[in-house]
Amino acid sequence: MTVGATPSRVDAVDKVTGLATYPADRVPKNAVHAVVVFTNQPHARLVKLGLAETLAAPGVVTVVTAADVPVNEYGLTLFDQPVFIGLDDTGRSSVPCNVSRWEADHLVVVVAESLIEARQASALIRTEWEQLPMANDVVVARTDEILVHPGSTSNTYHELKIRKGDIEKGIAAADVIIEGTYELPHQEHAYLQVEAATAWIDDEGLVTVETGGQWVHEDREQIAHALDIDPEEVRVRYASIGGAFGGKEDMSLQIVMAVTARKLAKLGNKRSVHCGWSREESIVGHHKRHRATVHARLGATAQGIITAVEADVWLDAGAYNYTSNKVLGNLHLSVAGAYDVPNARIDSKAIYTHSVPGGAFRGFGGPQGAFVAESQMNKLAEALGIDPLELRRQNALTDISAGITQAGLPEGVGVVRVIDACAERAPTSEEPASGKPFRPIASLPAEMGQLRQGRGYAVGMKNVGFSFGFPEACEADVVFHGDPEDHRPIRVELLHSAAEVGQGVHTALIQMVADAANVDSKQIEATFSDTATGGDSGSASASRLTFMAGNSILGAVEEAEKAWADGDRPALGHFSYKPPLTEALDPQTGVGQPNFCYGYMAQAVDLTVDIGTGHVRVDRVLSVHDVGKAIHPRMLIGQVEGAIAQAHGYVLSEQLVVEDGRIRNPRLSQYLIPGIGDVPVKIDCVILETTDLVGPWGARGVAEMPFITYAPAVTAAIHDATGVWIDTFPLTPSVLLGHLALGNL
Amino acid sequence: MNAEVSHEIVLNVNGEVKRFSAPARRLLSDALRGDLGLTGTHVGCEHGVCGCCTVLIDNQPVRSCLTFAIAAQDRKIRTVEGLADADGELHPVQAAFKECHALQCGFCTPGFLMTATALLEQRPNPDEEEITEALAGNLCRCTGYQNIRSAIGHAIELMQSDI
Ligand code: FES
Ligand code: FES
Repeated sequence: MTVGATPSRVDAVDKVTGLATYPADRVPKNAVHAVVVFTNQPHARLVKLGLAETLAAPGVVTVVTAADVPVNEYGLTLFDQPVFIGLDDTGRSSVPCNVSRWEADHLVVVVAESLIEARQASALIRTEWEQLPMANDVVVARTDEILVHPGSTSNTYHELKIRKGDIEKGIAAADVIIEGTYELPHQEHAYLQVEAATAWIDDEGLVTVETGGQWVHEDREQIAHALDIDPEEVRVRYASIGGAFGGKEDMSLQIVMAVTARKLAKLGNKRSVHCGWSREESIVGHHKRHRATVHARLGATAQGIITAVEADVWLDAGAYNYTSNKVLGNLHLSVAGAYDVPNARIDSKAIYTHSVPGGAFRGFGGPQGAFVAESQMNKLAEALGIDPLELRRQNALTDISAGITQAGLPEGVGVVRVIDACAERAPTSEEPASGKPFRPIASLPAEMGQLRQGRGYAVGMKNVGFSFGFPEACEADVVFHGDPEDHRPIRVELLHSAAEVGQGVHTALIQMVADAANVDSKQIEATFSDTATGGDSGSASASRLTFMAGNSILGAVEEAEKAWADGDRPALGHFSYKPPLTEALDPQTGVGQPNFCYGYMAQAVDLTVDIGTGHVRVDRVLSVHDVGKAIHPRMLIGQVEGAIAQAHGYVLSEQLVVEDGRIRNPRLSQYLIPGIGDVPVKIDCVILETTDLVGPWGARGVAEMPFITYAPAVTAAIHDATGVWIDTFPLTPSVLLGHLALGNL
Repeated sequence: MNAEVSHEIVLNVNGEVKRFSAPARRLLSDALRGDLGLTGTHVGCEHGVCGCCTVLIDNQPVRSCLTFAIAAQDRKIRTVEGLADADGELHPVQAAFKECHALQCGFCTPGFLMTATALLEQRPNPDEEEITEALAGNLCRCTGYQNIRSAIGHAIELMQSDI
């Protein structure tokens, strides 16, 4: 079971037998049950909060409010969000807590003997609110007439600039200018396991939270900050996690359940408390992929050499930052695409609104940026009559490019490689890939005269790991066990915090330990995702774990080997891997080195459009990835297929309706994620393995890359099929029909 | 607001008779998970869309989140916990999902396994379209379904070589 092999997942047997337990499966027998009551107010001041009836209701154990949180604030990168909205401000928060800015701001946790009693008692909470005016979207919010965070001077709270070359000269040198305004929609993560957590005070007095997230140590930090205690007094561990995709990187129940467990303990109640969200609470209650508006101009010579890129980016951060400042950075860099751009002006802004917060979601700003960059390139190719892949090849970034941030790129730039592989492998025949009849409406045969076929391309790159100087490290502990006379360890222990969100990282890490320590995987015993045993791994995000955790394991095994050679039994190996440093960009020019590693991808999408009904069937996707080294090729292909399915929903079916700061369709019956009959008929995955110089075994990362290029490849294929360019989505059948009608189809 | 009246409910689950008392409106999903501790049946949407909660009742796939426990009395309920042999040998559908990497987070897996089991019991040799139709009511957010499709093909092979 070594690197490059394709063993069964280590969690496969538990997951196919039902033995794997997710957070909602681990409710202790004598637990009390909690309900988190949202304010249900997108913008209002709390005037009165009456809890007497709730407290007197049958089965109620206690209620938890703002008054129970020593430091009533949280946030992964800025403390701008109260844990609870309330009247009794603890005075130790950077945001006033008596104003609700989001419908899912937390108001009260009601704890009762049973879930039913907790729900019934929640209905008895009496509130009085003073309604406040709303800044629903960036158009209103950027005027600053209504401030989302009073005390600030502007809703535009984070700005980035790129100034490269001479933009006026670049525009003047262009023979063709492509100009467009792109509207990118929200997307809901829709992981199938909704949020749940159990909390208690353990025998050693640690505030303990068991849940499913993406980074146990960050959860612990955030809990400790709010409770105003040392992180060492908090323990976070993960059960099996039913999907995350960035949606479990921020706090949902972690802090409130920790506060609740602590309050129960203060009341002398030693029972655990459990809370599980409903699907509706999950969709309303956590952040989304960001809505964004981008205006862009791309200039090129008649020969197809890019002379200039201009862009203005407005990112709807929603009511709180979450990771919007970081997402903005990625979007900012990716609007210029994977191309050599001599002259550029890019202005990007994150803007607070009274809407659902935007945050991490697979791609992290990359999909929005790539939709703009690649749509612009596809339009340019058409305008100049140049083959779209050839146009990209002649402008591609290479090892000698300065890049948009003018600091060069990490060695091994793979843009041309993925373009070449895409050109070589893209099917040349005109036939549909599947050869199957397309029946847009299952019960009716299609009208053949209404079917149009098309092909679209997109190319991109995505950073691996944290960017812009954010502290980046990953720890691993490896222990070799054996007797003094043993030549090699008979048993190897791995302690690691990497979160298994479904991507297969636990399997990959065991493969890597087996390979590095040259032992059989059966000799390895691993303990994962528990702050009580493992060091800080950083999060399961940014396509970083294979790269970061792999390097941490190489280091830890090397340390254990040294100790073993010195005769230590057991032989301990601890290692904290730190990748090459990155930096924040210069505020005026955007100069700097934002990233230490990138993955590269190119896609060709073949599809059929029914111009009578507006249905689209994707017949075939060619997805090319330079991954450095495939640690587990089958799981890697699984990442590609899964990312494409999510992107397929993003561009074609997933429509989150947000009106006046409220999500109107918080159900899976109204927010449609793709099923087995909706996804592309065929996906051909091409894996290139160009060794990364700093990656473990040469590996980069891949989890986000296939998502990023899919939407612009689909809209380019729709254009190829129908002649209509579309600068927004999701393209549900009725929406697509509207666009086609505008194009006289 | 008053606590609801409890009834004795008797269910036949995976060949075992189980008794517990619960209000008449107890959902089968909650009964399996909460009263009987069979947490392999998952709940992903609570209203019949995702298929995570699929169990077999008299060999038909049913959404346990839309079924009252009381209505499943006197019928044979099968859940993911009952698929493998008593000695732990995986059912061919389970083995195929494992071998074909037809799961990532695994949350949807029990539902898919139950739906696929019912399909292959009824139609040992389904064509692609029948597979699509049978699995259309089970959502997966991780895999993109390609490996799930391969796993069904592989399960068919395993079941045929079993005979
Ligand atoms: S939980 Fe029953 S169908 Fe989703
Ligand atoms: S494997 Fe995660 S939902 Fe299917």
